[in-house]
Amino acid sequence: MSSPDATGRENMGAEAGRGEVDGRPILSMEEMLLNMGPQHPSTHGVLRLILHLDGELVISVDPVIGYLHRGMEKIAENRTYLQMLAMMSRMDYLSGIFMEWAYVRAVEDLMDLELPPRAEYLRVITAELNRIMSHHVAIGDFMLNLGSWTPFFWTFRDREIAMDLIEMVTGQRMMYNYMRVGGVRYDLPDEFEPACREFLDYFPAKIDEYEKLITYNEIFLSRTLGMGVIPPHEAVSQGLSGPNLRGSGVKWDLRRAEPYSVYDEFDFEVPVGTWGDAFDRYKCRIEEMRQSVRIIRQALDGLPDGPVNVKTPPMLRPPAGSIYRAVESPRGEWGVYMVSNGGLRPWRLKMRDASFVAISMLPRLLAGNKIADLIAIGGSLDVLMGGTDR
Amino acid sequence: MNRSFTIDEARTRAHELLEGLAVAISHEHGVMVIEAAAAYLVETMKILRDDEVFSFKYFNFMGGADYLDHLEAVYLLRSMLHPVMVEIRVRLDRDAPVVPSVTSLWEGANWHEREAYDLFGITFEGHPDPRRILSRPDMDVFPCLKDARPHRKTRAEWKWTALDAPKRLPGEPPRRERS
Repeated sequence: MSSPDATGRENMGAEAGRGEVDGRPILSMEEMLLNMGPQHPSTHGVLRLILHLDGELVISVDPVIGYLHRGMEKIAENRTYLQMLAMMSRMDYLSGIFMEWAYVRAVEDLMDLELPPRAEYLRVITAELNRIMSHHVAIGDFMLNLGSWTPFFWTFRDREIAMDLIEMVTGQRMMYNYMRVGGVRYDLPDEFEPACREFLDYFPAKIDEYEKLITYNEIFLSRTLGMGVIPPHEAVSQGLSGPNLRGSGVKWDLRRAEPYSVYDEFDFEVPVGTWGDAFDRYKCRIEEMRQSVRIIRQALDGLPDGPVNVKTPPMLRPPAGSIYRAVESPRGEWGVYMVSNGGLRPWRLKMRDASFVAISMLPRLLAGNKIADLIAIGGSLDVLMGGTDR
Repeated sequence: MNRSFTIDEARTRAHELLEGLAVAISHEHGVMVIEAAAAYLVETMKILRDDEVFSFKYFNFMGGADYLDHLEAVYLLRSMLHPVMVEIRVRLDRDAPVVPSVTSLWEGANWHEREAYDLFGITFEGHPDPRRILSRPDMDVFPCLKDARPHRKTRAEWKWTALDAPKRLPGEPPRRERS
């Protein structure tokens, strides 16, 4: 079977069971070529899957990406460092804080900037709030894919509160543009801390509620247990990261493995799964929300006083060199590889996204499964096209 | 986790392991940088991956970079045993950028190499699926090259042809021919 080209047009319907090999006709098998996406509601954005089906069975999958490709890596080369910062949260738009964070870390480390401790704490607080929000979408959408409406509303109800909190700090609900090279843009408003503490008291009980609703639901279990199993060695050689890697039982979290910012001051667990199936990945996200609550609480308790940023020149000129800095985003390792030539603009900005890696894993995960399980497996990976296509 | 493993020790060990293979070994901002030759790339990577102390088993990403006089293929590998990362740089000829594919060592390299081909036109020898990934398959430039310019349609390409023109309705005055 020849693989279709990226448009799939030439092969569409042309090869189903016809043709010959070495002059002998191939035994006709009822193979169907089905195009799924890019506007399919359960592909989490504009992901297109070209499916070869044998009835209900998926024979092979060819993911086609690039429908959200905005050429950010090229755009970066034509913008100053500060201008590009405003674009970063447009990459993986559900976890914009992390996109900005990796970027400013790269610039700061190139410039050898020392940050005030309060700035680091504010970064951690907003980032962990953002992680909770992103996992809300991940879990809500995953359940929506499986045909369950209620969890989606429950998670989005609580996501709204977290969103209000982050809007209080950054002034934005999605495209935060909160980080600055050398700190953060705004200090916390006075009303943030009581509101945030209220949320932290309210939220863990809600996670228990999600678990009551979802985790031991028989339908959910039968659709996720043993689905899309990723063995740990495969996950590592593919370069998976985040809950997808930890679901396979690999205890690897950048916040612990190479503690950046002030994460080494906080006490939190890195939840890992056992089997590496869709259920374990879901469970890792649930547990991570609990850990995020713990981290925010500790950060609020230990929040130091002081300035929230250091003075930097308006036109940044980091010294020449190349640098790679990564943060643990809700979807995994988000890394920025930056080459500076000492000028006003980055010479090269390469972004490493975890969803890109997770989608590249789909052909191996989906082959041999039923088409209904394709939704469950794809949803459990929590891919987002904004980061994938950049 | 072996925290005591410093970057200088890593460099010493890399020097021992890659005797005669690597062009230069240095470090930059906490990442060990190995400059390798394209011909020995797979061999170098295999040594780094299979070494028990280094154990660079995690393929982080690979990408290209354009330095005007040459291109570079950049590979970043991680180990799960110690926090030192390694960056492998391969200098490529700008006119014919060819580098062996490392998909035989890490399956995860597949899409990253497709992306480097898509953006920089780097050819990966032995790649199982050398197609564009982010851009349209019929695109004729490699957009991240510094001298890449978008293809502008010439006047001839935009020309209004008689076939494209809508049919004239009965009673409608004849359209003026465009030159």
